[in-house]
Amino acid sequence: MRSKFDEQLELLHKELIEMGALCESAIAMAAKALAEGDTKMASKVPELSADIDRKERDIETMCMKLLLQQQPVARDLRTISSALKMVTDMERIGDNSGDIAEIVTMANITVSDNTKHIQDMARATIKMVTDSIDAFVKKDIALANAVIAYDDVVDGFFDEIKTDLMKQFGSPESNGEKVLDLLMIAKYFERMGDHAVEIAKWVLFSITGKKEG
Amino acid sequence: MKKRIFRTIFAVAISIFLASSLLFMAVLYDYFSGIQQNQLRMQIDLASQGVEGEGIDYLQKLNIKDYRITWIGTDGSVLYDSLSNVEEMENHFEREEVKEALSQGYGTSSRYSSTLMQKYLYGAKRLSDGTVIRLSVTQKSLLILTLGMLQPIIIIFVIAIFLSAFLASRLSKKIVKPLNALNLDKPLDNDGYDELSPLLRRIDAQQKEIRKQSAVLRQKQNEFDVMTSSMSEGLILLNGKGTILSINEAAAAFLGTDRCCTGEDILEINRGLALVGLLNKARDGKHSEWIMELENGRYQMIASPVISGGTVSGIVLLIFDVTEKEQAEQLRREFTANVSHELKTPLHTISGSAELLANGMVKPEDVPAFSKRIYSEAQRMIQLVEDIMRLSHLDEGAANMKWETVSLYAAAEEVIKVLSDKAENMGIKLELYGEAVQINGIDQLIQEIIYNLCDNAIKYNRRGGSVSVTVRETDKYAAVAVSDTGIGIPAEHQERIFERFYRVDKSHSKEIGGTGLGLSIVKHAAKLHNAEIQLHSVVNEGTEITVKFPKADNDHLL
Repeated sequence: MRSKFDEQLELLHKELIEMGALCESAIAMAAKALAEGDTKMASKVPELSADIDRKERDIETMCMKLLLQQQPVARDLRTISSALKMVTDMERIGDNSGDIAEIVTMANITVSDNTKHIQDMARATIKMVTDSIDAFVKKDIALANAVIAYDDVVDGFFDEIKTDLMKQFGSPESNGEKVLDLLMIAKYFERMGDHAVEIAKWVLFSITGKKEG
Repeated sequence: MKKRIFRTIFAVAISIFLASSLLFMAVLYDYFSGIQQNQLRMQIDLASQGVEGEGIDYLQKLNIKDYRITWIGTDGSVLYDSLSNVEEMENHFEREEVKEALSQGYGTSSRYSSTLMQKYLYGAKRLSDGTVIRLSVTQKSLLILTLGMLQPIIIIFVIAIFLSAFLASRLSKKIVKPLNALNLDKPLDNDGYDELSPLLRRIDAQQKEIRKQSAVLRQKQNEFDVMTSSMSEGLILLNGKGTILSINEAAAAFLGTDRCCTGEDILEINRGLALVGLLNKARDGKHSEWIMELENGRYQMIASPVISGGTVSGIVLLIFDVTEKEQAEQLRREFTANVSHELKTPLHTISGSAELLANGMVKPEDVPAFSKRIYSEAQRMIQLVEDIMRLSHLDEGAANMKWETVSLYAAAEEVIKVLSDKAENMGIKLELYGEAVQINGIDQLIQEIIYNLCDNAIKYNRRGGSVSVTVRETDKYAAVAVSDTGIGIPAEHQERIFERFYRVDKSHSKEIGGTGLGLSIVKHAAKLHNAEIQLHSVVNEGTEITVKFPKADNDHLL
């Protein structure tokens, strides 16, 4: 009985890693499409996003089954409940990547619009997502805490980009739609950073049993 | 086991107790009835003697409670009864015991009295006058007997339960104790039950077998580890679920992990989608491969399923580092593309001009100009083909070329003599400094190095600029430095100018001339001499390229 439960927990862990990998690919592809103005690559991101949605449903079903059939307690319960919460955040990361890709496919943004700040922000966000999933895989408390702290960096980039865009808006030759698109992209990256923080917090909860915020 | 032994012993004790007490009661009942019969007979004898002597007076004087005495007349009428009124009693002639007494002198019977709800034992004796004296006594039934003894029986039963429980528990512990104390690590050192010794001997034999087999397995594992650890390819063995059974050093390095990850899931080390897809395919029993880009290069991954009994029981993952291979392939592709392009351009000019000439569409006075163009383009092609041949010759390691003592200064002098006209045409001062330095090398290649460097220095120079060639010598090396006052090389191009066909300014290559192979030839020729090339260039100020021929290394090439 227990060994079957352990097997199922292991499978859950693997599924979560795979879902994390899908999220990483989605955000990396969206960022690359943005950096290179590659609309073809951008059009592939929604597919990944759909894969992520499917995976979320699979994992949710798996968690529900485990909760009902095994009635876990203590650490097992924490693992499963945090998995249930984590998939929601992962799914949002997938969605946001899809949103960025969608903006890229509209081809309002040219490669030259990609300021250094946006690229830095994309890199920082990818790092956060990757690290949060690494923290989950390795059950690394220090890394999870580092992800939570790193959110300030991404937030800082968002503020800088906002200031840049405000200046652009002020100039007479500015393209309003483009500026708004860039602002949306920056906001999506900022949201993904927040979701990575949430994932890191759930990782901490599943290890320590304490959840802050 | 202890519990079971306890239960068995306890049950046996209790059931033996119950059975024996039942048997005991039965025997006891039989015994008591015998005694009662005898007593009855004795009492009847006594009573009959009394009645024969004294008649009814004796009976009336008699005061007994345990017995009922009845005196029956010869006709069966009751003459006296110690319990009931004589007048009310019926004729007793037909009673069994009376009949028996009349015919045999003594008779007994037992009856269940419906009036008194008890079993009675009767005894009758015929007196000498033909009357019968009868005594009856209540006989206790087995149930009554048992009920009467209920209290002691219960007490004994409770004591028996406790005693048997205690003994059963002690006994079961005692039986099990040697079994628990068995030292299975050394089965033969136990002296518990003799009955266990075949089992223990068997365990011992099996343990020895297991030890032997695990030693063999360990040795095999070690051999396998040693073999795989020296492989430059990465090798990972996974079980059907994706857990790592074995990973060699190269694979761990490729995947960027330094810890020992045997027993973990492969996804914990690398969760790339490509790898997940590869493993899923392998799990479906298909062989698949993929080029994967990791942080430190490009790797070709090959996943093959291990199929046993119709199911995939494991996956073998092979990883090759193809970074260099891919780079080399890339270079080769670029080279081929460049060569075709460079060869095609002059051919187009030649074929176009020749076509015009052939069709007679060229005015006679223009013919020399066309011929000249065809000639110069053909020359350029020859130059190009020569350069390519020279390069491929150098690639082959400059076979058939003679190593000899070469004077760097003399070689530089020779080159300057050849190039002086060209330099003069462009108004460039060409100067040679330094001393005579001898090195061991291939004269032709040394000249080519200096020629190409000087040629570039002139080509990419300004009018009125200068080119200086310096030959010098230190303890460790002999060096030729060519410096110019030319346009310089931007920093981002400095790394690539030694590649074949690489040009900083691609748009003006035709005006300047050259094949784009010069510096590549320099690089290869220098490499053949184990020489080191140093580049120092500032845009719009000039470039200095120094080729250093190491002295010590040159000796062993002799």
